[in-house]
Amino acid sequence: MTTALWRDSGLAVTQAKDIREPRMDLQADVVVVGSGAGGAVVAYELARRGKRVLVLEAGPYVPSRDFSERFPEAMEQLYQDHGGQTNRSGDLLILQGACVGGSTVVNAGVCFRTPDFILRDWRRDFGLTGLTSDSMRPYFERVEKHLGVHENGEHEIAAHARLIQTGADKLGWSVKPFQRNIRDCALTEHCLSGCKTERKQSMLVSYLPWAVAHGARIFSDTRVTGILSDNGRATGVRAQVTGIDGEPVAEMTVTAPRVVLAAGAVQTPLLLLRSELANGSDQVGRHFACHPSLYVSARYPQPVHAWRGAMLGVYVDQFMAPEDGGFVLEDGGAGIVELSMTAEPGTGAPFMDFMGEARYLAGLVTLIHDHNVGRVHWDGDNKVIDYQLDDIDFPSMKKALKAAARLHLAAGAEQVHVPTSEPLIIRRETDIDPMVEGLENQPHHLRMVSYHPQGSCRMGADPATSVVAESGETHEVSGLYIADASLLPTSIIVNPQITVYALATRIAEAIAASA
Amino acid sequence: MTQQYSAPPGPEWLQQGLARRRFLQWTLAASAVMAGVAAGGFFWLRRSPLDQRRIPDWAGELSAREFLLFDRCRRVLLPTEGRDLPDTETVPVVANVQRTLSLLAPAPRQQLSQGLGLFDNAAVFRHGRRFVDLDDETARDYFDRWGRGLVLQRTLATVIKQLVYSAYWRDERTWPALEFDGPVSDRWGLAYLGNAPMPEDDGDVQTGIPE
Repeated sequence: MTTALWRDSGLAVTQAKDIREPRMDLQADVVVVGSGAGGAVVAYELARRGKRVLVLEAGPYVPSRDFSERFPEAMEQLYQDHGGQTNRSGDLLILQGACVGGSTVVNAGVCFRTPDFILRDWRRDFGLTGLTSDSMRPYFERVEKHLGVHENGEHEIAAHARLIQTGADKLGWSVKPFQRNIRDCALTEHCLSGCKTERKQSMLVSYLPWAVAHGARIFSDTRVTGILSDNGRATGVRAQVTGIDGEPVAEMTVTAPRVVLAAGAVQTPLLLLRSELANGSDQVGRHFACHPSLYVSARYPQPVHAWRGAMLGVYVDQFMAPEDGGFVLEDGGAGIVELSMTAEPGTGAPFMDFMGEARYLAGLVTLIHDHNVGRVHWDGDNKVIDYQLDDIDFPSMKKALKAAARLHLAAGAEQVHVPTSEPLIIRRETDIDPMVEGLENQPHHLRMVSYHPQGSCRMGADPATSVVAESGETHEVSGLYIADASLLPTSIIVNPQITVYALATRIAEAIAASA
Repeated sequence: MTQQYSAPPGPEWLQQGLARRRFLQWTLAASAVMAGVAAGGFFWLRRSPLDQRRIPDWAGELSAREFLLFDRCRRVLLPTEGRDLPDTETVPVVANVQRTLSLLAPAPRQQLSQGLGLFDNAAVFRHGRRFVDLDDETARDYFDRWGRGLVLQRTLATVIKQLVYSAYWRDERTWPALEFDGPVSDRWGLAYLGNAPMPEDDGDVQTGIPE
């Protein structure tokens, strides 16, 4: 029985410190690159079908119990580039998990199914005729059941979320509790630092241990440096294991007839480009999008303590459809380090006053349906994420910012901090239009963060305009699959984890059928 | 290895700023500073009396000028007088900045170092002395001007502020005054729930995928 391998806590991972030989040659039916939302799901779905699965993760293995609940430390330990990954100009922080479990370890647990209008666009514009709402439903249902996805209960609507709810109600806007993959949320608000007591159902505590229970093996500290192929067929990967001190520990070669790339929308195209594979159409790395977000904070007359309670409680979907604006507003808790970076109240005393009153702040996260204008590529040995907020998306950003300000004011906020590089404060409704319309789309003017990189190896029926087919297999290299957010043909407005889980389940099914 | 080095910002972000309508507000002297950056150093610029100061042994990953700049910034950006907050003499702000910078890849670290030099030295052209020698109010005004300035200026003002702010507020001694709770799971005695239960009777979805 494979369940004999089951552990009720922790995860069996081969780390760099466990490796004694400088050269490793391994065999598998499937090698999975990355252990986040896509890789973990594929690993489990194939391992439980009896496939020999190897998962290679570039980041470290950090057990939940070692999470510090200190955000700056978590950034250094669990995030890509120690939390410092940015676009080329440096004005957009692009956050990704870089640890066993990937971004699912450090996300806020928000679960949305892919909006129907997004699937419609994919069918119409990219020939993805199999991706209908009906055909995707069983996949959504499956992953939601596995991960205990449920709507926030009353106790999971924190004080900051109740303000947002109140404001939306006053404006007559549609506001809903989030669905989250949380088991008995302890309301610590430390989601972005990893859930220490294993309540968020990240891949670290769900699909990965399940995959291991079915015989999958996981290697951390192991960066895949090249995909191997022969006559248009994937044959495996080569990788390097690196110790905590940055020194190489071992070279690894995995021979496998199926290779699944699930390293995320930045690393997956970089690996393909480095391997010079699947890019006859010159599409690899192109069409990158990332939901550039603003955190719009506002001061309320009463204490809010944005760091207490569930991090994300409710969202406003009034404007989600492109014809309604194409953006979503999400209530968002935050700790004091995060709050110190969200606004520019002025230098010296004004900033210290702002922080001194941090307990009165509540925040809204804006997510826009950005166009796929970015590109991920190499510049020598350096990775480059060429992405700037496009002029075509700037109106959406401004609409989202205006709506956030209106909502805060309706909820009783005394002042709304416009997240720019200069002090801009909205105090009344009549301030909103002139102040926001006065903004220019220039680098480093808005304080933006991306939590959702996506779309750099897009899926489509036409090999001339896409990298992978609907099955997840690359058009050009048989046996080479992609199962992460890089295959999304357009940005999807909402948090993408459920979309990735569902597509990865579907792709795993295709792989199993092809073997 | 968890890192892949990011490419440093290309010249376009600087050009983008210089091409904007506020170009004329950017003085010829500042352009000379840019040329100085391009030439690779500031050795010809104004020295500060602070340059004689001994740099602490623990600050080995910062250049002497970087240390002086961040040490000046903590005083300018985090005035704690009259507030129920710990003084920046007691919170290791510069050491924490050093820790963050030590995690940067070589290329952006080098770019940042040049940018910090520019920020410090560009004050010479308006104030006749480097940033580290400005009085507190002038130094704060300098930050505010740069926050409203060109792309490069906004970038540097924001980056320096965020490095210093996070270096201060990450220290738990700053939390009580703000009523920030910090880590709570162990303090609250929360139970660890362990791994999620293995799915039972896990049949395939099988809706049929076009091959």
